[in-house]
Amino acid sequence: MNIKLSHNSILLLMLLLAIVVVVFSLSQGSVALTVSEVALALQSEGTYLAQTLIWELRVPRVMAAFATGALLSLAGALMQILLRNPLADPYVLGISGGASVMVLGAILLGLSGVLLSGAAFIGAVISTLLVFGLSQRTGQTTPIRLLLTGVVIAAGWGACITLMLAVAPPQKIPGMLFWLMGDLSYAHTPWLAWVTLLAAMGVIMPFAKSLNVLSRGPLQAAALGVNVTLVERLVFVLASLMTAVAVTTAGSVGFVGLVVPHMMRLILGNDQRVILPAAALAGGCLVTFADTIARTVIAPEQLPVGVMTALLGVPTFLFLLRKGRM
Amino acid sequence: MMLSAELLALDLPNRNQPPLSFVMNPGEIWGILGPNGVGKTTLLHTLANLRNKRSGEILLNGQNLLDCQRLFIAQNMGVLFQEHQDGFPATVLETVLLGRFPHNTSSWHKDSEEDIALATLALKQLELEALASRPLSQLSGGERQRTAIAALLFQAPKVWLVDEPSNHLDLHHQVAVMKMLSQQALQNKLVVMTLHDVNLATKWCSHVMLLYPDRPALMGKTEQLLTVENLEPLYQQRLAQGKINDQLVFLPSV
Amino acid sequence: MFKATSAFIFTVLFFYVSSVWGSCVIDDREREVCSNAPVTRIAALSPGATELAFAAGAGSKVVTVVSFSDYPPAAQEIESVGSPSRLDLERLLALKPDLILAWGTGNPSEQISTLLRLGMRVFYVEPHSFSSIAQDIRDIAQLAGTEASGDVAASAFLKGISDLKTQYSQKPKIRTFYQVWDEPLMTMNGQHYINQVVELCGGINVFSKSPRLIPRLNKEAVLIENPEVIVAGGMGERNAHWLEGWRAFPELMATKQDNLFFVPPSLLQRPTPRLLEGAKILCEKLDLARSRRG
Repeated sequence: MNIKLSHNSILLLMLLLAIVVVVFSLSQGSVALTVSEVALALQSEGTYLAQTLIWELRVPRVMAAFATGALLSLAGALMQILLRNPLADPYVLGISGGASVMVLGAILLGLSGVLLSGAAFIGAVISTLLVFGLSQRTGQTTPIRLLLTGVVIAAGWGACITLMLAVAPPQKIPGMLFWLMGDLSYAHTPWLAWVTLLAAMGVIMPFAKSLNVLSRGPLQAAALGVNVTLVERLVFVLASLMTAVAVTTAGSVGFVGLVVPHMMRLILGNDQRVILPAAALAGGCLVTFADTIARTVIAPEQLPVGVMTALLGVPTFLFLLRKGRM
Repeated sequence: MMLSAELLALDLPNRNQPPLSFVMNPGEIWGILGPNGVGKTTLLHTLANLRNKRSGEILLNGQNLLDCQRLFIAQNMGVLFQEHQDGFPATVLETVLLGRFPHNTSSWHKDSEEDIALATLALKQLELEALASRPLSQLSGGERQRTAIAALLFQAPKVWLVDEPSNHLDLHHQVAVMKMLSQQALQNKLVVMTLHDVNLATKWCSHVMLLYPDRPALMGKTEQLLTVENLEPLYQQRLAQGKINDQLVFLPSV
Repeated sequence: MFKATSAFIFTVLFFYVSSVWGSCVIDDREREVCSNAPVTRIAALSPGATELAFAAGAGSKVVTVVSFSDYPPAAQEIESVGSPSRLDLERLLALKPDLILAWGTGNPSEQISTLLRLGMRVFYVEPHSFSSIAQDIRDIAQLAGTEASGDVAASAFLKGISDLKTQYSQKPKIRTFYQVWDEPLMTMNGQHYINQVVELCGGINVFSKSPRLIPRLNKEAVLIENPEVIVAGGMGERNAHWLEGWRAFPELMATKQDNLFFVPPSLLQRPTPRLLEGAKILCEKLDLARSRRG
């Protein structure tokens, strides 16, 4: 009943929605700019101040927000297929915890820039391997073992994070807290996130149908001719990479990876050919919108975006859960 | 398509079983019988190359299974599993449509009118057409089982490996599914099924394989092998034998 | 004739000076900050920077401050750009400041580098000694063209410090524990400028050898050191209840001699000219403690 519209028209609608959200977000800020001022500034005309606000502050931030949301959401959707569990999420399973621990360690060692991204990636991979490896017994992974392992590992990372904060020199603490809170006010360049996002989409979309089969379990997928090992490794590497890049762009924004793909499944069913791009678009919209509110609602005070994603996402999700097809 | 094994030893935990050698031909319906835990499901999964074997060879039309692409195997061999993973929401029709995956793996391929028509036909054959848009989570056990069988029918394999096809099914649907499987055999497909009900084997199977935990398996024509002498040691259970409407029936005698 | 000549010379000199008016100063990160005209719009991104700007006589040029900038009272009337750790850059840019007094350890480095990339004039304010407080006042005054007021304020501050030094630093040493925070219990080591205040007053910071700038302690560590004086700040300017906890240890020397003193934290914990006021109070308290020795 829910799928009356074709896949393409759904995605087209979501793309339009994404454009609306991005334009809205560009027009909002603690300095009021009129629509025509924004439009002029986007064409590199108008006052110097308006151009600076748009090109130097709002555009990079909106781009970073959108890419972060899309990455986390896509990583969550893939992680859920990989682990055959709708509750899987880079945050719940401790993946972003691992990335955060490595980044905090790198900050303590005085590293910066690309090295931080590398540390986040290594942390994400180590954590995924730990969760995946430890939850296996005689080659089989039960959802409950996996979830418990993930939750415990996440708790372990939490302890490491607390330890690092406790021993950190005070001048490094604000920088460290940023990684933990999920905050776009420090986001520098969105390009890494966008390149990763587009590359990941390009790599995974040809496998979307295989993922549909994989979501019915590895044995069933193998029986239907899916090269399970290859697809699982691919998904594993992509999900870790995307989580790591999202964490390096905006810190660990929780909740998006769990809830957005889930929401999309509640509305659109479980065809990854629609779910993956739809989740990326919806995740991007959610984080962009949440960040717009975070930076304007009590301006000049700025809120971390993680607060807003949760505040917006939780009620929407609960509503869909009551209405939806689960 | 022919399925054969040479000195096949299954990889069963902590157990050594005498190796199996057999040839299964198109048009035959094989019933694999044996007590719980003897390795019936393991045998099916091994035949589908879903599990590693300890030693020996499996040949699909004379070609070593290990040399076959996974996709090639899936295009020719279909498996019905005993357990289904339904962690994600999906409707009956969506689940059946997945059965066609081996024949078209491209993500850009849209399910054509013809695909939908064929899938609907498969649903109709298993009396599921009214449930097509129902989510899996709202199905009964028997309806879920029939959905899986419909997906297999839509996959249209030449070799059917079905694990306990009568699971969860009421008597009417048991008969319907068995009829459908024998039709497949009539169309020169090979059907291999594990069964826990001996009487389904006597009625529907042309051949049986009796898997004993402690001695070599017996293989051959159904009417030759299904005797009280062979079955009592198989199940460690005293049996009584009778005939109803010319059909051989075995019952436990207590 | 002489009058006319000197008037001419002065006029020429004036135009000469104003045409090449330009000055460069060195900030607390050893960066050169230059301006070829007195700055007119200052953004002070820490409460301390606001106080320094006002002390330098440039208070009227401060166009924006951050949260908690409560001194001098006039600062509370100035528009804020939010919390120092998460600045509202849009509002900051819209106010078009021509000098930004950044707080290196309090403002996010990413945000400050954005401002630098946009070509903003940024002066890092993080003084770690009495002399650098005075120097910062002079530097800000120089950039703002208020050298005279800045010089007065800086000299008065240094004079006050040196008077205290003459008066107290040679007095009998007194072992002191300064409590920065209550839960968790924190103090500062010998690298911190508050340590210099303690020494100025003839005190010895019992944790000066601690390896970390702001060590976290448990109560046992304090009991073992057995300081003669405990000085605490607090959450508010009058809230002295942090000291009450120490009364549970009557054998502690500071408790026994009733040397539990409160100093308003804004007077000691901000490196600004008001530190002099805080230092005076601290020196008097330590002197009171000396008088209680048997």
